[in-house]
Amino acid sequence: MTDILRMLALCLLLGPMLAQAAALDDLLQQYAAEAQRPFSAEAGKRMWTQTHPSPKGGPDRSCSLCHGEDLSRVGKHARTGKKIDPLAPSVNPERLTDAKHMRKWLKRNCKWVLGRECTAQEKGDFLSYIRSQ
Amino acid sequence: MTDATHRPARNKIVVWDLPTRVFHWLLVSCFVLAWLTSEDNRFLHVHVFAGYLMLGLLVFRLAWGFAGPRYARFGDFVHGWDNVRDYLRSLLQGRPQPFVGHNPAGGWAIIGMLLMGFVVTLSGIVVLGMEEGHGPLRGWMSPASAGVFRELHETGAGLFLALVGLHLLGVVVGALAHRENLVLAMITGRKWVEDIDTGVRHHSLLGAALLGLASMAAADYFAGYWLHGEEQAYQPFEGRPLPQSDTWNTECGDCHLAYHPTLLPARSWNKLLEQQHDHFGEDLDLDPDTLAELRAFANRYAAESGIDEPAYKINRSIPRDQTPLRITDTPYWRHKHEDIDAAVWRNPKVAGKSDCAACHLDAEQGTFEDSDMRLP
Ligand code: HEC
Ligand code: HEC
Ligand code: HEC
Repeated sequence: MTDILRMLALCLLLGPMLAQAAALDDLLQQYAAEAQRPFSAEAGKRMWTQTHPSPKGGPDRSCSLCHGEDLSRVGKHARTGKKIDPLAPSVNPERLTDAKHMRKWLKRNCKWVLGRECTAQEKGDFLSYIRSQ
Repeated sequence: MTDATHRPARNKIVVWDLPTRVFHWLLVSCFVLAWLTSEDNRFLHVHVFAGYLMLGLLVFRLAWGFAGPRYARFGDFVHGWDNVRDYLRSLLQGRPQPFVGHNPAGGWAIIGMLLMGFVVTLSGIVVLGMEEGHGPLRGWMSPASAGVFRELHETGAGLFLALVGLHLLGVVVGALAHRENLVLAMITGRKWVEDIDTGVRHHSLLGAALLGLASMAAADYFAGYWLHGEEQAYQPFEGRPLPQSDTWNTECGDCHLAYHPTLLPARSWNKLLEQQHDHFGEDLDLDPDTLAELRAFANRYAAESGIDEPAYKINRSIPRDQTPLRITDTPYWRHKHEDIDAAVWRNPKVAGKSDCAACHLDAEQGTFEDSDMRLP
């Protein structure tokens, strides 16, 4: 009896975690279909701090401008000053669990930083890097 | 007891019972506290507490004026005009008539103060309900009609202050003319008077109960200050919850505070949403369904709805032919924030004018209570 209960508890606990991991895996799989190489957290890390000139003459733009270089720390929106919860799933388990949210912000932030939408390759590399943090 | 030998016919007898004294000094505290906190909105909750306590005290005093011991009763100190005139005349002639309790002139000052106390506290409750949406009368009337009651509240407070001035003058004159220390008498309850049996008992238990009740009320009212955590500072007033929308909070709450629709009129929100592809230089890129949902929510609870004080006042301040795209461009916002020191805006904790949450504890809820404001 207790074994069954224990199994049940485990399923209840793991169920959502697995479902969340699934959302990220699904998304990565979709991107992978369009990508040329396997995704690399290393490449994602390199692009993370790469700066691009601002079209409006502000400070140079990078992902780290808002999220910081240490993803386990709280970030700060470069224009509004609002604090942004840490991106690293290791300290913020809610991260990378909602495909719609990830798509929306990758699109928005890539346009803001790079001045264009990211390629599937770049998005996959970014997500792989964030996931590893 | 050396004095007793000089004045053999006089003795220190009980004139003011304990409940009357407790009432007196608590009323003094409430009065001072209410005046000190009347200008600065940050202390509105203290002001309101002083008002409630004062009203409670006044109700007690009203009852005690009929049921209390001899000198606490209205019957003892409310005199006809003839007596007042005779007393004042005797005072001017330098031979004031002696009274054990309140003299006839002082008696009327007391009645006036009690009356003004009621006027001020009751009108205060009405203003609190109409303008701030708090207290027992919240939601009864729109903020629009609060003006009359605010007038009444402020004029009453002015008259009350004038009467307190007269009362203090009376105490000084009394001290000189009767050679009495009236302040000490109101503390100890005893006066040097002819040795008569006044029949006044201290009623210590009731006095202590009154004091205990007031302390308990204060502890209960201000408990939040001790219980609040580091993360969530104590909000003295929890505003009446505003309608929320999950879509609005997620679509508009990631880059900055999800400004509540009450903070701008509908025409401003519609224009902002129309220009979503160039939102202060950002592309919001909202799909049509989401956009429709946001528009419906914004129009329903826009400033015109007048559902709370900021909504009503912001809407009233904007000329009809203008469509501000920033809350921080509305005349009401500017007016409310024009006195803030330049140093505050330079504080790194304040990201800018639109960083409402830096100064308003309840910015997330959108209620912008007067007393939930803390300058960093
Ligand atoms: C101008 C500020 C800003 C910049 C620059 C920025 N972001 Fe973001 N990012 C945000 C905001 C705001 C959010 C949404 C708030 C949140 O999720 O807490 C967000 C969310 C995200 C998310 C979604 C996380 C999740 O759990 O779904 C990802 C992924 C992300 N950003 C990646 C990036 C990448 C990659 C870059 C660089 C190309 C970047 N960001 C640059 C502000 C920024
Ligand atoms: C991608 C980030 C982003 C999103 C999402 C966003 N905004 Fe903004 N918003 C900004 C920026 C940047 C500013 C300008 C801040 C500044 O200059 O202080 C701004 C300013 C504003 C202002 C003016 C604030 C003031 O100064 O009074 C309003 C109102 C506003 N946004 C409403 C909205 C609404 C409504 C939504 C949702 C439909 C929304 N915003 C979503 C980035 C965003
Ligand atoms: C630097 C600090 C600071 C910031 C940032 C700030 N406020 Fe205020 N706000 C104040 C102060 C101080 C007062 C009180 C002024 C007074 O009582 O006369 C106030 C008063 C108000 C009031 C009036 C409250 C009342 O009923 O009297 C409203 C509404 C308000 N702020 C809204 C906002 C909004 C909306 C924002 C963001 C767009 C904002 N504030 C940003 C400091 C700030």
